[in-house]
Amino acid sequence: MNHSQLFLQLLPEAVLVLTALVMLGAAVATGRKPGKEFSAGIGIATFGLLLAAAAMFFVPPAGESSTPLLANDTLARIFKVVVLALGLFAIWLPLARKELENPGEYYALALFALTGLMLAVGSNHLLFLFVALELSSLSLYLLAGFPRTARASEASLKYFLFGGLSAAFMLFGISLLYGVSHSATLSGIAQALEAGQPSLLAMTGLAMLLVGLGFKLAAVPFHYWAPDVYQGAPATTVAIVSAASKAVGLVVLVRILQIGFANVAGSAAWGEMTAGWSLWLAVLAAVSMIAGNVLALAQTSVRRLLAYSAIANTGYLLVALSANGPKAAAAALFYVVVYGLATLGALAVTAAVERDRGDDRISSFAGLIHRSPFQAVCLLVFLTSLAGIPPLAGFVGKFALFSDALAEGGGMGFVWLVGLAAVLSAVSLYYYLSVLKQVFVKPAPEDGFQTRTLPPTHVLNLAIPALLLVLLGTLPSLLLDPIARALCETLR
Amino acid sequence: MTPAWTLISAFAAALIVLLLPARAAMASRMVALVASVIGAVAAGSACLAKLANPAAAPWSFDREWIPNFGSRFHLAADGLSLTLLFLTGITAIAGVLFSWNIEKRPRAFFAFFMTIIGGVYGVFLSRDAFLLFVFYEIVILPKYMLIAIWGSTNKEYGAMKLTMYSIGASALILIGLVAAYAAAGATSFDIAHLAAATYPSAMQAWAFPVLFLGFAVLAGIWPFHTWAPTGHVAAPTAASMLLAGVVMKLGAFGALCVAMPLFPQGFEQYKALIAGLAVVGIIYGALTALSQKDLKFIIGYSSVSHMGFILLGLAAANHWGLRGAVLQMISHGIIAGLLFGIAGRVVYERTHTRDLGELGRFDLWKSLPGAAFAFTLATAASMGLPGFSGFVAEISVIIGLWQVYPWLTIAVAAGIILTGVFSLRALYRAFFPEREAAAAPPPKLPPLTWPEISAIVLLLTVSIAIGIYPKPWIQLIDDGLRSPLFQSFLSLP
Repeated sequence: MNHSQLFLQLLPEAVLVLTALVMLGAAVATGRKPGKEFSAGIGIATFGLLLAAAAMFFVPPAGESSTPLLANDTLARIFKVVVLALGLFAIWLPLARKELENPGEYYALALFALTGLMLAVGSNHLLFLFVALELSSLSLYLLAGFPRTARASEASLKYFLFGGLSAAFMLFGISLLYGVSHSATLSGIAQALEAGQPSLLAMTGLAMLLVGLGFKLAAVPFHYWAPDVYQGAPATTVAIVSAASKAVGLVVLVRILQIGFANVAGSAAWGEMTAGWSLWLAVLAAVSMIAGNVLALAQTSVRRLLAYSAIANTGYLLVALSANGPKAAAAALFYVVVYGLATLGALAVTAAVERDRGDDRISSFAGLIHRSPFQAVCLLVFLTSLAGIPPLAGFVGKFALFSDALAEGGGMGFVWLVGLAAVLSAVSLYYYLSVLKQVFVKPAPEDGFQTRTLPPTHVLNLAIPALLLVLLGTLPSLLLDPIARALCETLR
Repeated sequence: MTPAWTLISAFAAALIVLLLPARAAMASRMVALVASVIGAVAAGSACLAKLANPAAAPWSFDREWIPNFGSRFHLAADGLSLTLLFLTGITAIAGVLFSWNIEKRPRAFFAFFMTIIGGVYGVFLSRDAFLLFVFYEIVILPKYMLIAIWGSTNKEYGAMKLTMYSIGASALILIGLVAAYAAAGATSFDIAHLAAATYPSAMQAWAFPVLFLGFAVLAGIWPFHTWAPTGHVAAPTAASMLLAGVVMKLGAFGALCVAMPLFPQGFEQYKALIAGLAVVGIIYGALTALSQKDLKFIIGYSSVSHMGFILLGLAAANHWGLRGAVLQMISHGIIAGLLFGIAGRVVYERTHTRDLGELGRFDLWKSLPGAAFAFTLATAASMGLPGFSGFVAEISVIIGLWQVYPWLTIAVAAGIILTGVFSLRALYRAFFPEREAAAAPPPKLPPLTWPEISAIVLLLTVSIAIGIYPKPWIQLIDDGLRSPLFQSFLSLP
């Protein structure tokens, strides 16, 4: 493979990096004019993301351009597009102007974060993966602490400390795995592990790797950063963390576990439990679902509520992964996209309410249906999709996830985990409904404030995810089938 | 018109209503009414066609939907589904008529209302377990909204309680369905396919109670019935009618057409327990109704009592029992709608009280003679007097029960007597109070309006028609019961 081919393979990422550099240069050149810079930043970032999406067409097909580092398969392509789309929606989120003193830098960093995520989604090599994930993580630490408020600084610091620690674990794990298998590519590790009993060293390495990815996905007990970041960071940062970053974390996890460690899965089925990542993930899933759903019940801030909901949803995803089967994994990948759309939309409404009312308490949503029916109806779609009510995509996603997890997870022995997931998912309706109750049932407070008109980007930001959730809820095969096929191709 | 028009008209109406200009109350009502009539006519004409030509293959619609987990968009309507569709159509019409005066956010009201109707039609038509579950779940959110926004008496609590019971029960159904899917080879969610598979008895022993309980909670099985009275009382009249009239029947339908056919061995193990709980429900509901002061609470607990007969018919699991159970679904759907309509709409809107003592002040038999007359007939129907649908249904259930658990019929007889007692008590104290001659004359109340009269006449007509001439209904139900689904636990004479 020559350099031009390699460049073509990474064309979308290159476009994003160039855009980010142009944005930084422009920000320096024009000096500080916050008002103009703000919309210019969004404009340039939008242009860059759309250009990168267009560049996806020029990436050569998988067969002729595979390298040990890059997995340029259909799965990677699908999720690169997902990252671009979720990133675009994230950039369009309404931010308070005072949050950002220098928007040029903010949006440039956001593009770097997205670049890191895109690289991670298509990586076959653990070191390359580490570098890509660190690119996104370092950008996200900064993005979290951009507003000069105590809350944002706390969020950023917590995120950084936990992130740094988990990155250290991950790197140590990778080094152990390299020591055992003399290779850091996933296929190389799989070959090394095929021969006989896996060594304790390899399993330790895998466990450490899972710590790093568990942090990315906000699985309990690696979740402590999540509520603070969700509450303190600007909306765009939260959106990238919760939607794009989570989707990428899941793809990476599926790739590592299903390709590299397929034969050390063990089993999480009741009565025949054997040590292995399947059992570990099942435990992580159970505690994440319990902690996320129970703690979400007590929240009064919608952002914190969404954070705990994110933790709970990570639990559902891990249920599917611990079943160790391609169909369940495909269902999880479908669900993570659907979850990303719904959370992003809910965040968009929250950000708009914050701008109008000054905070994100649940009671600030009172009477939204009278003040802004469009936003209220969209929020209904997003939250009921998260709760798993048909005909929205969240319902199909959860159903596919649970049914395939049970079918592939060792039959009836897996009922304990799927049953727990189903019951806790029912519990989650309570807290989503407590928000919707304010929106639809409570009267609007009569304090005379005006709802600002919605900018067109915000309208698109709500309308497109909402329509997609309805579409994927009624015709899930549109996305579920391509993902399932792509995953089969990847695992072949 | 094929039965598909029931589904199409309901969901189309929900969408159209939302697209109307804000505060278009009259237009929303008319859209809902027309859609309900279309649904009822579609179901009714399909019933007639089925009666005219019983041998014809049932209508069905089968398309690929989600191949990834083997779910097809499979609808079909045999005689059993058709009767339940017709019940839903009638209740929908009556519900719209009884909500004619809704002025608060009418578009949203009728959109949620028609969504519930559409979901109910969908459940009765589905032959794919996943599709059935989709329609079953669609109903949950509109139920919450109808009660929480338009309800009365502790509405937010009632709405949340009802919703959490529903979603919790749905989680059980999900576990049961998914377990059956996985154990049957993870290829299809078709109900016939799932029922044809054989499951190990160890699995049936836990999967049946999980799945059955999931459905039975919605059917108001004791001791998981507490959502029903609270929810029915909090709900606006039309929602009470829908909840008691058709939504509770979804649970019974699911238990009959999904839980029992899937896990017949599990059912064998548990049927005595189900019968016992049903009888407790009948007596407990009646006793509690006897001690209530609020007219709607009385009707709510009477619903729990009457739903007990359905569960009892299912537990008997013979031909008489199942036939009686389905008849009772229809009969109770009509009668509960009527009682809630009169108590919640006709009386409450005029007197602004449902307290039996307070109502006595109004001398309703003089000031509102039409309502008193209709409520008397409805009470008679509810007590199961011959000539009304309730009699046919309950006598079938009791005959079925006699063949299986003869000693239980004694308890059921006690329940029927108690039903008579609480019904008459409510009727007399609310509508025919004793008054001293010196008391102040009762206040004048506005007369019945035409939507109220038409709804009352419609429901009474259907109940009396079934009571006097049950044969076509029984033919339709028997047609449904001949389906291979039920043969694992039922042999037709």
